[in-house]
Amino acid sequence: MASIHSTSGLEGIRRRFFPTPFQSLLSLLSLALLVTIGWKLLDWAFLSAVFSAEGGPEACRAAAGACWSVIANRWRIIMFGLYPYEEQWRSALACAVVVVMVVLSCLPAFWTGKRIALVWGLGTTLFYFLLKGGVLGLNRVGEEAWGGLALTLFIFVSTCLIGFPLSIVLALLRRSQLPWISRTTGLIIDCVRSLPLVSILFAFAVVVPFMLPGWLQSDKLYRVVFGSALFFAAYQAEIIRGGLQGVPRGQEEAAMSLGIGYWHRISRILLPQAMRNALPATINQFVIAFKETSLVIVVGFFEILASGNAAYGTGQWTFAYVEVYAFIALIYFVFVFSLSRYGAFLERRMAVGER
Amino acid sequence: MPSSRPTQAEPAIRIENVTKHYGSFLALRNINLSVARGEKIVVCGPSGSGKSTMIRCINRLEEHDGGRIFVLGTELNDDVGNIDEIRREVGMVFQHFNLFPHMTVLENCVLAPMLVRGISRSEAEATAKRYLEKVRIPEQASKFPGQLSGGQQQRVAIARALCMQPQIMLFDEPTSALDPEMISEVLDVMVTLASEGMTMVCVTHEMGFARRVADRVIFMDRGEIIEEAPPEEFFSAPKNERTQQFLSQVQTH
Ligand SMILES: Nc1ncnc2c1ncn2[C@@H]1O[C@H](COP(=O)(O)OP(=O)(O)OP(=O)(O)O)[C@@H](O)[C@H]1O
Ligand SMILES: [Mg+2]
Repeated sequence: MASIHSTSGLEGIRRRFFPTPFQSLLSLLSLALLVTIGWKLLDWAFLSAVFSAEGGPEACRAAAGACWSVIANRWRIIMFGLYPYEEQWRSALACAVVVVMVVLSCLPAFWTGKRIALVWGLGTTLFYFLLKGGVLGLNRVGEEAWGGLALTLFIFVSTCLIGFPLSIVLALLRRSQLPWISRTTGLIIDCVRSLPLVSILFAFAVVVPFMLPGWLQSDKLYRVVFGSALFFAAYQAEIIRGGLQGVPRGQEEAAMSLGIGYWHRISRILLPQAMRNALPATINQFVIAFKETSLVIVVGFFEILASGNAAYGTGQWTFAYVEVYAFIALIYFVFVFSLSRYGAFLERRMAVGER
Repeated sequence: MPSSRPTQAEPAIRIENVTKHYGSFLALRNINLSVARGEKIVVCGPSGSGKSTMIRCINRLEEHDGGRIFVLGTELNDDVGNIDEIRREVGMVFQHFNLFPHMTVLENCVLAPMLVRGISRSEAEATAKRYLEKVRIPEQASKFPGQLSGGQQQRVAIARALCMQPQIMLFDEPTSALDPEMISEVLDVMVTLASEGMTMVCVTHEMGFARRVADRVIFMDRGEIIEEAPPEEFFSAPKNERTQQFLSQVQTH
C-alpha cells in the first residue's frame, strides 16, 4: 500500500514538473534558483550573522552576514522610542496588557457584554495609566514621549475602539428612513473616504487646533487618534452596511412581528448576521488599520517604524538598516498574521449555524 | 398589553374602509373585515390580489393610508407609539419561515419572550419546550434552523410565535414554500391550534384546511374583498364569477 502511495506521489511530481524535456529544464533551473536564494538567506541571517551585542558595529563590519547586534544594542529604542529609560518596564507591561486584553476578548468564553466590557475597561485603564503615570507613585510621562511598539498598539487599539462603534453608528444612520439623515451620513462617509489618511492626520494634528476652542484642545495624540478612528469608521461603516444589506428583509419583519423593539432588532438580529456577512472584509480592515498606524510619523510621532529609523539613524549603526527593518517586519508579521488566522477561526466557528 | 382591554363584544380585529397604495398603485381598496375573538378566517385569491398586504396591515408591517384598523380595541395609526405592545399580542407566521439563522431553535423561541415580556430565561425555556412539544419537535431544540427540513422550520416558526402567547395568529401562506409531503405536518399543527380557540387569519390555498377549520372564507381580487362566506357555502355555491373561476383552477391541480 505504502509503495503504491509513494510512487503515485512521485508520479504526480513527475507529471506536474517534468512533463516535457523543456519544462523539466525550467523546473530544474527554478529549483536551483530557489536553493541558491534560500542558502544565501540562511547564510546571511544565521550562519555568518553577528548576534552578540558586545563587539559593537566593528564586529558587524568584519562579518559577512546580518548584523543582529544592532537589535541587541538598540531594541529598547525600537520598542519604546523616547520613553524614559528607567520607566521602560511600564511601556513593556502596557504592551503585554494590550496583548492579554486582545487575546482574552478573542476567546468565545468572553463574548458576553459584561465580560467584554470588564476586560476592555480594565485593560485600557491599566494600559493608559501605566504609560501615562501620575498615579500610585508612577512618574508622569507625557504623550509626546510615548513611542515604539507601545505607541503603535495604543494608536491601533484606540482607533479600533473608537472607530468600530462609530462605524456601526454611521452604518445605521446611513440606512435611516429619514432621507436627510441618510444622505448627510453618506456625504460624510464619502468625504472622509476621498481624502488620504495622511492628510486627515495632518489636519487633525495641525489644522484642528486653530478651529477648536481652547478647552476642547486635547493633546495632539488624541486628536490624531480620533482622525484615524474617523477614517477607519468611514470604511468600516460601508463594510457593515454591505453586511446589513445581505440580511434578508424577512429577518427584521419577523423580529418586528414578535414585538421586538428597534434596538434589540439591531443588536440581536441584524448586526450579528451582518457582522457574519462582513467578517472577511472586517478582518481586512483591521489589518489595514494596524499597518497604517505607521503614518503618524508625518505628524511627528515615534511609533515602531519611526523608532526603528531612529535606532539605526544615529551615526554608528547606519549600515544596519536592513536588519532593523527585518526585525520590525517580523513584529508586524506576528501581529497581522495572528489577526488573519483568528479571522479564519471566526469564520469557521460562525459557519456552524449556517447553510 | 393594550391599555384598553377589549370587551367581549369588541372584535379582535376590525378593518374599516381600508385602502393602501404602493406609490400610485392601489393595493387595497375599501377593505372591510371584522374578526371576532376565536374566529378563524381563511383568505384566498389570485397572486397579487393584496392578501399579504392586508394581513401585514394587521400588525402594521405595512401602513394603510385610508380607513381605520382596530386590533384588540386599539387603533393602529401614527400615534401608536406602542405598536410593539400590539405586535406582542399578534403572532405571525411567514411563507419563508424567517427563523433567525444564527440562533438555535430554542434561542429563537425564548428571545422575544425574554426581551419583550421580560420573562426569566428558565421560565421562557420551559414555555418554549412546551410549545416545541406541541408542534412535535422537542428533540430539535438545540439545532440551528439551517439543519432542519422546511416543514420542521415552519413548525418552529409557529412555536416561536406561540411562545409570546399571542391572542391572534396571522399566517401568510405558511405551506406554499414547502414540499408536498411536509404540508400536512404544518397544517395539523394549525388545526390543533384552531381547535384550542385561537383567533386566526390564514392566507392559504389549502382548501381542505379551509373546509375543516374556517368559520369564514374570504376571496380577494385586485385589492378588494369580493366574496365572503362560510366554507360550505363558499365552495358549493360561490356567487361571484371570479371566485368560481379561481376555485376551478385551485381544485383541478
Ligand atoms: N413593497 C411593494 N412595493 C410595490 N408594490 C407592492 C409591494 N408589495 C406588494 N406590491 C404590489 O401590491 C399587490 C398586492 O401584493 P400582495 O403581496 O399583497 O399580493 P398577494 O395577494 O399576497 O400575492 P401572492 O399570492 O403572490 O403572495 C401586487 O400587485 C404587488 O405587486
Ligand atoms: Mg402574498
